[in-house]
Formats: sequence, structure tokens, C-alpha cells
Amino acid sequence: MSKAATLLLAASLFAQDARQIVEEAQRRSRADSERYEGTLEVIDARGRKSLKRWVYRRLGSHGNSKAIIRFTEPAEVRGVALLILNHPERASDQWMWTPATQRERRIALQDRSTRFFGTDFSFEDLEERDVNQYDYRLLGEETIEGAACWKIESRPRKTRASQYTHSILWIRKENYTFARIENYVREELVRRANYREVHNVQRIWTPRLIEMQDLRRNSRTILRLEKLEYNVPMKESDFTLQALRREF
Amino acid sequence: MLLARLSWAYLKRHKLRWALTVAGVALGVAVLVAMRLANRAVLASFHRTVDGIAGRTELQVHAGDLGFPEEVLERVQAVPQVRAAAPVIEAALDTGLPGQGYLLVIGVDMTGDRSLRDYDLESGEEAIIEDPLVFLAQPDSIMVTREFAQRNGLGIGSRIPLGTAQGIRWFTVRGIMRSGGLSQAFGGNLAVMDIYALQYVLGRGRRFDRIDVALQEGVSLAEGQRALREALGPGFEVEPPAARGRHFEAILRSFSLTLNITSLFAMLVGVFIIYNSFAIAVTQRRTEIGILRALGATRGRIRALFLGEAAVAGSVGSVAGAMAGWLMARWIAGYVARLLQEVYGVVQNVQTAPAEPGLLAASAGLGIVVSLIAAWIPAANAARVDPVRALQKGKYQVLSAGETRARWWLSAGAAAAAVIFLLLGRSLVLFYTGYILAILAALLMTPTLALWLARALRPLLAWLRPVEGALAADSLIQAPRRTSATVAALMLSLAMVIGFGGVARSIYNSLIEWVNTTLNPDLFVTPNAEIANRTYVMPAEVGSEIERIPGVRQVQLVRSARIPYRGTPVLLVAAEAGKLAQTVRRRPLEGDLDDMYRRTAAGQATIVSESFARLRGLRLGDVVELPAPKGLLRLPIAGITRDYSDQQGTLLIDRSLYRQWWADDSVNVIRVYLAPGASAAEVKRQILERCARGRRLFVLGNQEVRRYIFRLADQWFSMTYNQIAVAILVAVLGIVNTLTVSITDRRRELGILQAVGGLKQQVRHTIWMEAVAIGVIGLVLGLGLGAISLYYSLEMTRRDLAGLSLDYVFPLPLAAWLAPVILGAAFAASLWPAETAVRGSLVEALEYE
Repeated sequence: MSKAATLLLAASLFAQDARQIVEEAQRRSRADSERYEGTLEVIDARGRKSLKRWVYRRLGSHGNSKAIIRFTEPAEVRGVALLILNHPERASDQWMWTPATQRERRIALQDRSTRFFGTDFSFEDLEERDVNQYDYRLLGEETIEGAACWKIESRPRKTRASQYTHSILWIRKENYTFARIENYVREELVRRANYREVHNVQRIWTPRLIEMQDLRRNSRTILRLEKLEYNVPMKESDFTLQALRREF
Repeated sequence: MLLARLSWAYLKRHKLRWALTVAGVALGVAVLVAMRLANRAVLASFHRTVDGIAGRTELQVHAGDLGFPEEVLERVQAVPQVRAAAPVIEAALDTGLPGQGYLLVIGVDMTGDRSLRDYDLESGEEAIIEDPLVFLAQPDSIMVTREFAQRNGLGIGSRIPLGTAQGIRWFTVRGIMRSGGLSQAFGGNLAVMDIYALQYVLGRGRRFDRIDVALQEGVSLAEGQRALREALGPGFEVEPPAARGRHFEAILRSFSLTLNITSLFAMLVGVFIIYNSFAIAVTQRRTEIGILRALGATRGRIRALFLGEAAVAGSVGSVAGAMAGWLMARWIAGYVARLLQEVYGVVQNVQTAPAEPGLLAASAGLGIVVSLIAAWIPAANAARVDPVRALQKGKYQVLSAGETRARWWLSAGAAAAAVIFLLLGRSLVLFYTGYILAILAALLMTPTLALWLARALRPLLAWLRPVEGALAADSLIQAPRRTSATVAALMLSLAMVIGFGGVARSIYNSLIEWVNTTLNPDLFVTPNAEIANRTYVMPAEVGSEIERIPGVRQVQLVRSARIPYRGTPVLLVAAEAGKLAQTVRRRPLEGDLDDMYRRTAAGQATIVSESFARLRGLRLGDVVELPAPKGLLRLPIAGITRDYSDQQGTLLIDRSLYRQWWADDSVNVIRVYLAPGASAAEVKRQILERCARGRRLFVLGNQEVRRYIFRLADQWFSMTYNQIAVAILVAVLGIVNTLTVSITDRRRELGILQAVGGLKQQVRHTIWMEAVAIGVIGLVLGLGLGAISLYYSLEMTRRDLAGLSLDYVFPLPLAAWLAPVILGAAFAASLWPAETAVRGSLVEALEYE
């Protein structure tokens, strides 16, 4: 076997390992449904803070789930909701519902890179990262905030439209939870998400605090997951536009 | 140097005449500059608005003013060449704030619109854009420009009233945009709202006006256009934002042409005034010229002397005119903008008419060149002065005695060519060349015709006053070319007035007939305060509600809006053709009345206006292809009628077709016919009571609509009244100058008259009669050329401007009104020269004797 062929085989094995790690992380976090009350704290470049609350509900598994985010605070945005329908083979569909005008609006694919209502998350960041929509490469191992992690590069496949050219994932060896994700546009690091306060909730290791940093704007958003529950009974019919309208 | 001193000395002696000459140039240049700047200001304002709003938009998808269903957005976004596509609604809403007029409100989807537009907010308010959640969640949210906020003392949280489809509603200012870019649009009277909130506010349903598109990197405009056209089909226009400017210019074409003609007219007046002033100067300075020639001055130096004076007068007048024009432009631009709003329903906010150095310089340059051209003939005459005859006391040299055969032949040739060009066919170039040749023929014939008319008037004048009348007539007969310039100018002015006035009268007559036969409902119900405005629409159910009111015999639903047809906006009227057949029994110009309504009501044909057909060379039976959101609607023309709803033409289709092809059920006018004996006031009261709650609604009586339409027509033809004023000014100035020359020439004759016992009053009568005779000659020739000019004006309206074939009706009332006005002006113009004649030195006049 030539030297080049040996290198190719090694690279292929490495890639296989990276995918297996991500698949395992995805498998361990799998639940039929999820519900939590989120608190969003946005801290801008000048240190000014704003607070929002929402209720998050998800039905279905990775890559094929449906989710609703409904704002509960502040009072003037209460009832505004976002419906996300994730698809394994293509980008998700997203609609926003505003009760005051009784209208839903589709969030176009082209708009997914924009900030999600003043937070440091983009609409795309709220989508699920299905393992099959990316190619992976194991870059090595690193310690993040005291936890030993695999460092993996993920690149969206051609079928997956993304604002990011690639991302670097750090997955904790101990419980296969994400420790950090760094998102790049070309070679520029634009967003960094840190996953902290990992708790075992109904036998699923879950970070209860996500801090998203926008490095271009020098601002950050802290999302705290409260009253988190998995496998809560939910109906498919609750994740439709009709349901959005019905609830308000 | 000596010549300059002579000029200066003459100027000091005749300050008034110099001031008049300079004023003549200034008037011409000022009107030219003001009209051009005003026209440009209106167009620039529109372009600024388009550019300001367009942002990074490369292409716009639209289907005319009717908009299209929201679903089209997804089809646009799915085109691979499209990087960003954002829906837009635009409407000019009445602010209800004192002195603010309209506020252009653009509705955008804030979640994605920033990829196309920058909303640069005042510091500390970025959160509104960064976090549009509150803005979107509250449908009363509005962002305004800093200019608008400052003008009205608004801050964050201030509330402003806006006229909406639901009546007056209050909106909360949640953002103030910094100056520049977007906020430059519409003179700063611009606001941004959430598009879905604006849909509701305007009662537009789930429709967008247009979609703004940015293309992927590396995709050319042509590629993007092709891809979008393929994806959307022929029912949509895909154009760069600048194309909206072209549509706007197309709508204003005839208006711009009228402005240009008025400018040209003003410049001609300037030429005439300069010519006259220099002709007088040459006459008065004949002795001085003779001395100069005797001292060795060459003909060239004499010509240069007068041309130099013309250049100075032209320069001073042109610069003053350019400045005055600039100052006038802002006022005129505001007037033009108001006119456009009322006539075309196109709201524009024109707050400035910026000075354009290039235009100002070019106009001033034109003023100087025109001054030189106008002074050329008097200067040449001055150069031809014979020093021997000029220095003989008591003799005057008739500079232009005798008619030339050449002029006769030229005139006949020009007239023959004009007739041939007119008969030759449809070429606009030949038509306009023929028009110019006809005027040229008339101008060349003016001295001869003036002489004939003076001879014809002699017996009448002599009968009125045997001595004074005969002297006055003889003065005109002996020197026909002295009066011919004034007569020619008067003739041209009056011909133009008759031409415009005649078109106005023909249109008025046709309008009256159209209003009587077509706009015959008892009441009109509309959500727009002005019937030409189509910003607001209402649901068709309002019609059903009105139908149930006691006393209502019939209700007809109408939806009208401009749609693009072969690149030009035309008015589409969707009405219930079956019902129209019962109430609008107006014989079409082409087609059978019953057949055209039957086929149109069945959705098988369209009825078009004469202007629509003629401007596009279409005939009865031809198929028109209308772009609609559902595809290309092909309909044969079943009838051609006279209709004045839109200058670019009107198409009538049945409402059922409109609902089907445009997927829209809204209406903007409901025509209400009352049962015999029903009270219009009572029905109006009931309509307002039942239908106007929570809805913007106006109920207009038939007379109100008629008054509105005739008011618009009056505004449109207000230019004619300005031209009449200018014509009178020309008459007065021309006659004053001509009489001054005449008195100078006849000083000896008038002196002898007084020496042999003639009374001063007799001299006065002679001058007065001469002036009135000039007025009569100018009037007769003016009305004659006016009759020809009217024919050309009507042909111009039919062939080039509006496609309307109007009946030839000579405006006799206008002519009857002009006669005393012109003769009165002529008499008034003679008062001062007559006094000059009687107060002159008798000794000086009789020096030779």
C-alpha cells in the first residue's frame, strides 16, 4: 500500500470516528418531546441588558422535529410565536405569528442568517443540526472549562444551506454533551456558543445554560433553561399554523 | 471705447427702454429656467424617492398598482439567482398634521428587509431594528425620519394620526431614522411600518405591491430578469428600480410637453421684445449712426456696436432671469406637484427645486444667444444706414421699403410644403415639420397681409375721423414692415392662445358629454377623498350592504388601477359590464353598443378608450394581452369609446374576470343609482350610518364629482390663462415700441400737422387710432393663424399626446373675449406714446422746413 493510500485510509477512519461521536451525542440527547421555560438575557457591547422569556416546546426527534417558541415577556410581545418545522433533507420551515395583527409570516430561508429578535442567536441557530446534513472531521482533543473534549470540524453538505462556512464543535467525552460550538464565515469566527451547567434531566445530560457570543457585535445572550422536561405528552396538531392562531 | 461711450450715453437717456429690453430677456430665461427646474424637481423628487426606498434592490417584481397575492413571494424567493427578496407596500397617507400633507408610508417585513435597506436610527434606538419584536408585535408601530420628527416636534413614544381604511387611527413613533439614504425619500415625509400591519391599515388584504430583489453574487441583471420572468410568467414586470421613473415620466409626458411649449413661448416673447427694442434704438439713433459712418466707422463696427449692446443686455437679463427662474421654480414645483396629485393621483412631495448650475448656465447662454439673434436684423439695418440720408434734416430713411418677391415665393413654398406634409401620412416628424412650415409661411406673409388689412381699414378709419383716421392708416400703409414685427408677435401669441384655448374647449365639450353619459350615478361611494386617488380599497360587501338600503335601485362595483401595458401604465377598470350596459348608453366610436357590453360582460372581450387604441395603433377586433398575476389575459377589443379617465388610455373588463385573474375582490368606487323619488341626502345618510363605522368612506353626490372633474380640467388648462396674459403683455409692449418708432419716423409730419393748426387732441387721436388699427390687424391675423394652429393642436392631441380625436370647434367665446381685451390693451399702450408726440418740440420737428 502506498503512503498516500495509507494517509487516505487514516483520514477516512478519523472522519468515521468524528461522525460516530456526533451521532452518539445526538442519540444520547434524543427524546420524544421537550418543554422548557427559557429566560433570555441579552447583554450588548455597552453592557446594557434586556430580558425576555419564552416557552419552548418540541415534538419529534433530531432532524424531523417540530418546535414552537412562544414569548411570554415582556408584556408587549406576549403571544408572539415562532413555529419551526425541521426536515431531514432540507432547511427548516419557519413562521412567525403576531397576535395583534392575527397574521403569520414566513421567515424566508434568505433571512435565517439575521438575528433572532435582538438576541445573539440567528434564526438558523434555532434549527436542529441533524448529523446527516454535515461532514465531520476529528481535529483532536482539547479541554474546555475543565472538561476533556473531542474537537470536531463540521461542514454543511451542499444540500444544507447555511450562513456558516464551517463550525468547530467541542463534545465532552464524559457525557457526550456539547461544550462549545464556534461558527465561521470563511475564516472569520462570527459566533461562539458555550454550553454550561450540565444536568441530568430524566436521564438525559443537558446543558441548562447556553451563552451565545456574537463576536462581530461584541454582544452576548444567555439562555437559561428552566422547568425543563422531556417526553411530555404533546400532539402533532399543536404544531401547525392553525394551532398558533387557535392559541391566541 | 468711443462706441462704448455712445452706448452708455444712449442707455442713460433711455433707462426705461433698456430696463424693458433686459426684462424681456429676463422674462424668457426666467420662465424657461423655472419650468425646467420645476419639472426636473418633480422628476428628481420621484427618482430620489425611488432610489431612497430601493436601497440595495437590483430588481423589482410588480404587476402595476393592483399588486398581487402574497404567495408570489415564495416563488420569487425560490429562484436560485435571488439572494434576497423582500415584499413592499407603499402608500401616501394623509397625516392630519397641520401643513404636513401626505406621509409616504412603506410597509416592509422587518425580519428580512435589512438585507435590502438600511434603517439608520438615531443613537439609542437601534434596539427597534435590532430587536424588531416589539415593533412587529404592536401594529401601531411606526418609524419616521428625523426631518419629519423635527418638523412636527415628535419623539419616541409620540403619537401621530393617519388616515386609514378604518378612518383616522393613531400610531406610535417607535423609531426615528437618521438623515440620509432612505430618509431622503419623499422630501423626508417618509415612514416605515410592518407590512402586515399596513395591509390591514389600507384594507388591502393579503397582497403586496411589489417585491424588491437582490441577486446572488455574480448574477447579472439580465440573467436575474430572465430567471425571474421564467419563474413568474408574463403577468409580472421584472425591472430595475429606475424603470419606475420611466413609468412616472410616461404618465407626465403630455404635461411635460405643455411646460416645454410654455417655456418656448416665453423665449419667443423675449426674442420679440429684444428685436423691437433694438429696432427702435436703430431708428432713434439714425443720426448718430450717420455721424459715425461719416467719421469713418465701418458697417462692421456699427453692427458690432448694436450686437455688443445686445450681448450686454442679454447677459444682464439672462443672469437676472436665471436667478428669478430659480426662485420661481420652487413655487411652480409645488404647484405642479399639487396638480399631479389631483389629476393623476400621483402624490409627490416636492419641497425644493435645487439650482442646477449646468441648466442655469445653459439657459443664461441661450438667453445671450437669443438676444444676439433677435438683435441681428436691427444691427444689420443699422449697418446699412446711408450716412448722407441719415444726416439730412427732416428726412428719414425707410430701411425696408418694398416687398420682395422672394418672400412671397418662400411663403408660398412653405405653405405648400406644410399641406403636403400634412397629407403625406402618419410620420410625426413630417407632421411637426409641417406645423413649423405653416407658421413660417404665416410669418413671411405678415408684412403683406398687414399692408392689405391696413388698406382695408383706411376707409373705416377715415370715416370715423377724416383727418386723424387717414393719417393713422397712411402711417401703417407707408411703412408696413415697421408694424409687421408687432403684428407678427401679436399674431403668434394669439394663435397659440386660440390653439390651446380651442383644444381646451373641445376637451371641455367632450368632457361634458362624457360626464353626462358615463358618470351618471346619483352617488359615488369611495374610501378615497379624491376620486383620482386609489390608495384605499374596500371590500365588495359594502356594495351588498348599500344595495339593501331603501331607495337604492342599483349598485355597481368598480375596481380601477394602473397596470403596465407594453411598458406604459394604463388604467384598468374592472366593473360590472352587464349593469353598465343598462346605465351607460353611450354610442361607441367603433363597435356595436349592445354587442360590446354583452361580450365584455361574458368575460370574452374588453372595451378600450380611443386614446388607448390610437396611441398603440390598435383597432376593433385586435387582441390585447393584459399581464395579470395569473398569467396573460388575452381579450379582443369589442368597442372603442371616448373616455377621459386616464391620458394613457383605459381598458374596461368585467369584474368577474378581474376577480379570477387578479385574485382580488376589493373595490375602490361604488356607483349608486337611486330609485325614482328617493332622496339622495337620505340615502347618503343611511350609507354613512350603516357602512362608515370603523371604515374610511366618502359619499359624493353626482354634482360634487362633476365639479371635481371640471376643477381638474380648469387646473390642467390654467396654462392657457397664463398664455393669454403673456399675449396681452406682448400686445402692449409691441404696440408701445411700434408707436414710438412711428412717432420718431413721423416727427416732421406730426409737427407740420400741429403747425398748420392741428390740435393736440387730433395728434393724440391719430396715435390712438394707429394703435387700435395695429391691434385689429394683429387680432385678425392672430385669429386666422389661430384657426390653423387649432387644427394642428387637435392633430397633435390625436396623433402624439393623448390619442383623442376631438371635434374642431373654434373657441368663439374666447375670441370674442380676446377682441376687446387686445384692442383695449392696444389703446392703453398708445397713451404714453401719444403724450410724447404732443409734448415734443415743434421747432425740432420743423427744423428742416
